Amino acid sequence: MTTADDPMHALDLKAEVRRAMASLETPAPYGGSTTSDLSIDEELNLHSIGWEPVELVSGLSVVSVPWGAWNWGQGEISAASEAHEQAFRYAIARLHNDAAAAGGHGVVGVHIARSVHPRHIELALLGTAVRPIGASVVTEHDVFVSDLSARDFTLLMVSGWQPLGLAYGASFVYAPRRSVGAVLQQRSQNVELTNFTEAMYSAREGAMERMQAMALALKGTGVVDVTVIEGPMPFAPHAVEFASWGTVVRRATDVHRRLHPRMVVSLDDPVVLFDARTLS
Amino acid sequence: MSDATNDLPEATGHRLEELEHGLFTSDLSVNEFLLIKEVGFHPVGFVMGSSIYHTGFQTRKWGQSQELTKLTEAMYNARELAMTRMEEEAAELGADGVVGVRLDVNYYEWGKDAAEFIAVGTAVKAEDGVSRLNKLGRPFTSDLSGQDFWTLLQTGYLPQGLVMGTCVYHIAHRGLGQTLSTTGQNVELPNFTQALYEARELAMTRMQDEATRLEASGIVGVRLEEKSHQWGSHTIEFLSLGTAVRQTSSEVTLAKPTTIISLDN
Repeated sequence: MTTADDPMHALDLKAEVRRAMASLETPAPYGGSTTSDLSIDEELNLHSIGWEPVELVSGLSVVSVPWGAWNWGQGEISAASEAHEQAFRYAIARLHNDAAAAGGHGVVGVHIARSVHPRHIELALLGTAVRPIGASVVTEHDVFVSDLSARDFTLLMVSGWQPLGLAYGASFVYAPRRSVGAVLQQRSQNVELTNFTEAMYSAREGAMERMQAMALALKGTGVVDVTVIEGPMPFAPHAVEFASWGTVVRRATDVHRRLHPRMVVSLDDPVVLFDARTLS
Repeated sequence: MSDATNDLPEATGHRLEELEHGLFTSDLSVNEFLLIKEVGFHPVGFVMGSSIYHTGFQTRKWGQSQELTKLTEAMYNARELAMTRMEEEAAELGADGVVGVRLDVNYYEWGKDAAEFIAVGTAVKAEDGVSRLNKLGRPFTSDLSGQDFWTLLQTGYLPQGLVMGTCVYHIAHRGLGQTLSTTGQNVELPNFTQALYEARELAMTRMQDEATRLEASGIVGVRLEEKSHQWGSHTIEFLSLGTAVRQTSSEVTLAKPTTIISLDN
């Protein structure tokens, strides 16, 4: 291709490269390079309502639990509940800072990795900061955090709702042991183990109560997509845990906008997996 | 068979009070939330019931197929306790029903006889203020997802209640003679077949009885689960679960489905 109609000939390549390099060093007023873990579909969804991804942001926190907190006592294990609350609070605060620094107005698709160990509680949050296309920077207090996917975020916005933040609550409660007499007496019977049921209820109330209080503090009217984790701790069977979190929402417009979904029947073939080893 | 107590364990009061003042919680996804709004319902709260239950012991005869009534009762009562408590929370919120109900049995480190039975769902209330309570004057329950709930309502049906039937059955072992006489042959094992049939039949019948009590006209989304839990290979629980429905209007508003071929891979 040496003919004159080759478009590359018309350009001064060196000048182009210099221009490109310069634009990398001084980012454009908005819409410079972005990092996000969104899929192409999700990114297009966001653009359809006038939002754009800005940056992948994270928040991490590890909080210690005092030794022996799990093994004795009665009622709520407040040391563990407090540690859990702190871990969430710190991690979310860092996510807010990160997002605000990157110029985001909110963080969507937050992935929550949580683990409770005998001596510490670990929490890692990772999500994509987003903003209305070309919007100016806001302070970290005005940033919202949500574990809804970008697609769900789009749906919410389209129907006239907005996410306000993440509400969470956890409570760890110590279940009293049954007396030896009761254990022997009830061995062959169908009975409810009221000590565990009561402990579970008390943990649930504590956790949900905290989550709801946070939702109200954020001036939300609802919490959607609530995730619940419950059960005894693997390392301390007499300590039961209840943890819940979800995205706080509020109606942003006067009325709920209906979506009018359509019924579809997909004509795709079912996925058939063929394994050559079955032939032998 | 139900002797479930109606009183909720203490300390549910305050949380539910808060929910009555406008805040709702829900484990519905955004899709489900919007679809439920679409058919004129509003979520009022995430409700649940649980019971940690110790199942008794019953001796089994090695060579005899039989229902283990004590275990059946335990499995039924514990689930009933969890469900009733969940319903109770919904009633307290003034809800018309509970959708997306999940019933789970969890075994933990408390020993093999103790299990947690849990029922969770999202209580919903009709926005037009017309009561949708079922024949027994209780909120309806349903294990249908938000999507299924939307579709069902478009066809003029309304859920009446989550109905279930269960049967814990011990299937006889085959004797040595029987085993030897069939070695190397293609034969049906009638004692196994019959035992499985009978157990399934018992579970299904019990479920249908519950639906009849609700004066339902049908049961949709029936699932039949077979589980051995912690009892070894010859003792099986058959659990059938479904949503009893009743036609409330003959108007079908469901649009004709559009056929699509997705171009994703």
